Amino acid sequence: MPMSCPDYRLSRRAMLGASSATLLGMQVRDLLAFSGTSHEQKAENVILFWNGGGMTHLDTWDPKPGRPTQGEFEPIDTSASGMQISEIFPQLSKQMHHAALIRSIAGTQGAHGQATYNLQTSYVSTPNIRHPGIGSVVTHEKSQIGDLPAFISISGRAARATYLGQKCEAYFVASPGDKDPYLAFPEGIAESRGNRRLEILAKYNGQFAGRAPNEKLSATQTAIEDAVRLMRSPALEAFELTKVPTSTLNRYGDTAFGRGALLAKRLVEQGVRFVQVNRGGFDTHSNNFPAVRAHGEVMDPALASLIEDLSESGMLDKTLIVMMSEFGRTPRINQDAGRDHWAACFSVFMAGGGIKGGTVVGASDKDGYRPAERPVNVADIHATICHALGIDPNREVLTPLQRPMKLVDNGTPVMELF
Amino acid sequence: MRRCCKVSCGLMVLAMLSSATVLTAADRPVARTLDSILAAENAERGVKHEALPVVDDLAFLRRVYVDLIGRIPTTEEISTYQALPSATRREQTIDSLLQHPRFADRWTVFFADMLRMRSNAEGGAQLVAYVHRAVQDGMPYDELCRKLIATNGKVGRTPEVGFVLGDNADPMALTGVTSQVFMGVRIACAQCHDHPFDVWTRKDFYGLAAYYGRTQRIERRFNNRILATYTTDVSQTSVMWPPEGVGPEEERKAMKPSFPIALLEEGKQPEYITRLKELRAAKANAELAAAEKKADPGLDDLLASAAEKAERRTRGAGTGGLGVLAEARQEAKDLNVDAAGSGESELRQQLARLVTSPRNEYFSRSFVNRIWAEMIGSGFVNPVDDFSGQNPPSHPQTLDFIAQEFVAGGYDLRSLVRMIAMSQTYQRAHDFSGNEPLRVEREAAFLATPVRRMLSEVMFDSIVTAGHLFQPKHEEGKNLKTVWRLTRIMKQPENSVRPVALGGQEKSKTMAAKPAMKKPDQLAAGYDLEKAIELDFNSLLTADDTEESESVEVDQMRVMSREELEAMRMAQESARRQADYIDRFVKAIVDDNPQFTSTMRIATPAAPEHFLRVFGQPGRTDLGDERDHSASMRGALMMLNGRLTHEASRVGEMEPVYPLIAGTNPDLPAAIRLAYLEILTREPTDQEQADAAEIIKTSDTLIDGLADFRWVLLNCNEFRFMP
Repeated sequence: MPMSCPDYRLSRRAMLGASSATLLGMQVRDLLAFSGTSHEQKAENVILFWNGGGMTHLDTWDPKPGRPTQGEFEPIDTSASGMQISEIFPQLSKQMHHAALIRSIAGTQGAHGQATYNLQTSYVSTPNIRHPGIGSVVTHEKSQIGDLPAFISISGRAARATYLGQKCEAYFVASPGDKDPYLAFPEGIAESRGNRRLEILAKYNGQFAGRAPNEKLSATQTAIEDAVRLMRSPALEAFELTKVPTSTLNRYGDTAFGRGALLAKRLVEQGVRFVQVNRGGFDTHSNNFPAVRAHGEVMDPALASLIEDLSESGMLDKTLIVMMSEFGRTPRINQDAGRDHWAACFSVFMAGGGIKGGTVVGASDKDGYRPAERPVNVADIHATICHALGIDPNREVLTPLQRPMKLVDNGTPVMELF
Repeated sequence: MRRCCKVSCGLMVLAMLSSATVLTAADRPVARTLDSILAAENAERGVKHEALPVVDDLAFLRRVYVDLIGRIPTTEEISTYQALPSATRREQTIDSLLQHPRFADRWTVFFADMLRMRSNAEGGAQLVAYVHRAVQDGMPYDELCRKLIATNGKVGRTPEVGFVLGDNADPMALTGVTSQVFMGVRIACAQCHDHPFDVWTRKDFYGLAAYYGRTQRIERRFNNRILATYTTDVSQTSVMWPPEGVGPEEERKAMKPSFPIALLEEGKQPEYITRLKELRAAKANAELAAAEKKADPGLDDLLASAAEKAERRTRGAGTGGLGVLAEARQEAKDLNVDAAGSGESELRQQLARLVTSPRNEYFSRSFVNRIWAEMIGSGFVNPVDDFSGQNPPSHPQTLDFIAQEFVAGGYDLRSLVRMIAMSQTYQRAHDFSGNEPLRVEREAAFLATPVRRMLSEVMFDSIVTAGHLFQPKHEEGKNLKTVWRLTRIMKQPENSVRPVALGGQEKSKTMAAKPAMKKPDQLAAGYDLEKAIELDFNSLLTADDTEESESVEVDQMRVMSREELEAMRMAQESARRQADYIDRFVKAIVDDNPQFTSTMRIATPAAPEHFLRVFGQPGRTDLGDERDHSASMRGALMMLNGRLTHEASRVGEMEPVYPLIAGTNPDLPAAIRLAYLEILTREPTDQEQADAAEIIKTSDTLIDGLADFRWVLLNCNEFRFMP
C-alpha cells in the first residue's frame, strides 16, 4: 500500500499534468464508480452496531443447511422472498424486507486488534499513522444538527477521530440509561448557583479577552458556550430512558443492548448523525451454539423493534442501520464445539438509509469458506455507508502534517444495494 | 534487599556527580550568548520590531514551575521565591526546580510523547519507569538513546526493550521511528518510493532498515499463555533488496546496512566535540576517584558497587536477562533462544553509535529543537520532526549554538532546560497588542512568546495543587456518603459466602449477557473519566525476584511431557470452574474526603475519554502524533461539571483559607488575595478585590461564595493559559 506523501503526490500530478488522456481516464473511472447514482442519497444518520469478538456468519446471516458446518440452527424464511436467516432471529425475520445482507465480505485481518481497526476505519493498521473511524468520517462530512453531539458511542468506545480532530470524536455514553455526570452541575450545586457561576465565568473570560485578545482564548469560551447549550438542551431528554414506557423497554428487551438500540433510535430522532452501539462476547472459540442463541435472544427483539419503529415513524429511509463485526468464524466446528476466527468470508447486515430492502449481495461458497460471487472488500462497506449519505468516499482531507488521506481507503460503493 | 539499597546509593552518587558538573558550568553567559546570537540573526533578517520585555517576577515563577516541574507553585513556594534577592531569584529558582523530584515526572511526559511510550504496550510500563529513572538520574541523552536503539532482552528484566517492542520490533516501522524521532528526518515516505524533493531514496530507507533486519520479537508461550516476550537477533535478515514486488523474487538479496545521514568529517574536530571528550574524561576520573575514596570506609560498599557495575556492564553485553547460572543451564540444554535473548544487538549497536554520534548534527539539533518548542511554544523547525531542505530552521545559528552547547555539556537535559529557561527569549511576554500581523512576526522572530495552554497533565496537577487535593482537606467524617459497591461473592459448596474484593468500584456494571441486574437507584454515577491507575515506577524496575522464580518455572515446564502439561492445565481450569460467584450490590458508608494523585505517574496514555486525553494527551500510536490543544465541548463539560474542579473549589476546614473566612471575624480581602495567589500566582488588583468581594458576599454563605469564586478562577482562561 503506497503511502500518499504530499510531495510524492504533487510530483506525480505534475507528471500527469501533461497527459490529459490519463487524467480523463481517472475521471471516467470515478464516473463509473458512481454510475447508477440516479437515486438521490436519502440517509441522514447512521446507527452502527459493532459486535466485538467476531460474530459467526454461519449461524446468523449465512446459514448452510445440510452441510457439516450447519451446526445447531435451522434457517428460517423471512419477509424478503428467497432470503433465509438463522432461526435465532424470529422477530427480525419479519423485518427483513427492509434489510439487506452482504454475504461475501472478503476480509484480510484475522486478529482482533487489526481486524477491528480495519472494519472500523477501512484502512489496514500501520504503525506510522492512525486512521479515523467511520463515525468520525461521517461527522466530519455532515454537519451537526441540533444541540446533541453529532457522534455518540454507547456501551463502549468507537474508533478515534485521529487527524479529523477533537470535534469528530465520539461522545461517550458508558451505559445507556445512566445519567452522564458531566452534563449537569456537580452534586450539591443547585441550578441557580450553577447558572450564576457560569455568568460570572463568562464575564471574567470576557474581561481577560479584552486585556489579552487571542483566538486560542476565544475558542475556549466558544466551547464553554457549546457545552452550556448542551446542558440546557431539552434534547438531553433523549438520554433518559426512565421516561420511556416499560412496555417499550420490554419490546426492545430490557438488556444493555436493547436499551442501546432504543437510545440510538431516540438520538437519531434528535438529529445525531452517527450512533455506535457496542456489544461484545462474540469470540466463541468454545460452546459457540448456546452463546449465539443467547446473543440472538438479546439482539432479535432489539433489532426488530428498532426497524419496525423507525419504519413506522418514517425515519427508516433517513437512517442507515449497519451491523458488523471484525470477521466471521470458521466453517469447521472445533473440538470444543466452538468456531475460530475466519476473515476470508463473512457477512454484513444493513437496513434503511435508502437501500433496497430484501437484497442479498454476493454469496459464499457451499460451506462459507470464501466468497463465491461478488467479493466485497472491507473498504467497500465504508464506501457504501458514505454513498448512502451522499459523501464522496474518495474525498481527500489533509492531516495536521499536511498529508492527504482519502476518507475511505479506496472503496467502491456496493451499488446493487441502491 | 540489602543489595538493592546499595545500588540506589550508588545511583545517587552518580546523580550528584552529574548535577555537580551541571551547576559549576558558567551557564549565565550561555543563555546571554543565546539571546545575542538570536538578536544578530534577527538583525540579519531585517527584523525591525522591538522585543517585548520579560514577564514580571510572579509570571516568571508560574511559567517556570509549569514548564520545569509540571504544576503551578504553592503559596509557600511563592513566599520562598519572594524572599530571595531579586537579582538572583530567577536563577536560584531554576536551579532548585532542576533538582525537584517532579522534574523527572514532568520531563517523562515529554519523553512519553516523543518516544510514543504507552504503558499498556508490551514492555511499555517498564519503559516509562526506565525513562523516568534515566531523567531522574541525569542519564545523558545520547546514552539513553543508544540503550533504546540497541538493547535486546526480555520484557520486565530489560526495560529498554519496551522501545523496540512498542513497534513490534518491525524493521520498517523502526526505521521511520529512528529517523524521525531521533533525527527529525522523515524518511518513512521512502519506504515505498524515492522521496521526490528530498534526498532520500528507497534504497536509503532499506539500508537503514537493515540495521533492524535481524531483530525479532519472540514469545515464549505455553498453552496460549505468554510466559515471556523478548527481542533477540537472529542470523537471517528480514530486510531484502530490491523490495517486494520490484523485480523477480529470486533476485532479492539481504540488504546491507548503510547509514544515509552524512556525519561531520572525521578530520574535523570542532571545539564542542573536544569539550565533550574532555568532560567525559573528567567524569570518568571523578567516578574512579569517588570509588577509591569510598574504598576507605568500607570494603563491602566498594565490592557491592563493583558488582553492580559489572552487572550493568554485562547487562549491556551478553548475559543480560537471566543470571549466569540460568544462562549456563540454557546453554547446556542447547536452547539458543535465551543465549541470544539479551544484551545488545550488534547491528543496532552500530546504528546507535551512528545516530548518537556527536558528529551527527541531526541528532543534537532535532532534540534541542523539540525542547525549545516545548518551552517556548514553537520550534526553529516546525513540525519539530521535519528537518529537510524544504523546511529550513528559522534561526540556524541559534539552533546550532544550542545544539553544540548541548553536545559539549554531555547531552545533559537539565543543562539544556536551564540554558533556555535562563534566556530572555524564554522569559518574554506574550503579544497582546491585538495587531495580528505584528504578533505573528514577533513570535516568528522569538521577540514575543506565543500563548500556551498547560499540558493536560500539568493542568490537572495544577488544579489539584491549587485546590489542596494532594492531601485530604476536610476533617474526618465531614464527607460521609452512602455508596453501593458491586462486590463479587464466592459461593462455597457448603453455602458459606466469602466476599472477594472487586477493586471496590462504586459503579454499576451492567452485565450484558446476564439477566437484567437491577442496580440500586442511589448508586453514584462515577466520574470515572478523572480517575486512573497509578504506576509504581520502582516496582516496575525491580522485577528481578519474580523473574528468577519465573525462569525456574519455565525450566520445569520444559522437562514435563505434553501429557503432564495438559493434565496441569485441566487441573487449573477445573479448579477455576468450581468456584461459583455471584455479584451483589453492598451498601457502604465511606468518608469521601477527596484526594487526587499526580497524573504524571499514572497509566499513560490515559483511557480514550479521560480528562488527560480530552485535553490533548496523544494516543502515541501514530508517528508524529502531536498534542491537540484545540478547545472542545467535552473538555468544557469536564471543567465545568467535573469532580476535580468541583472539589478543588470547595473550601476544606484544613485549608489555609478556612480561618480567614469561617470565623466570626472573617478577613475577606486576605481570603481573596490567597485565592489569587493559590490559583493564578499573582496579587489581585484593587478592582479585582472589589469584584470578588461582591461575588462572595452575594452568595448564601461566605464559604459558598468563596467556592464559587474559586471555581470561576479555575475555569477562566487565565488559569489554563500560561502568563
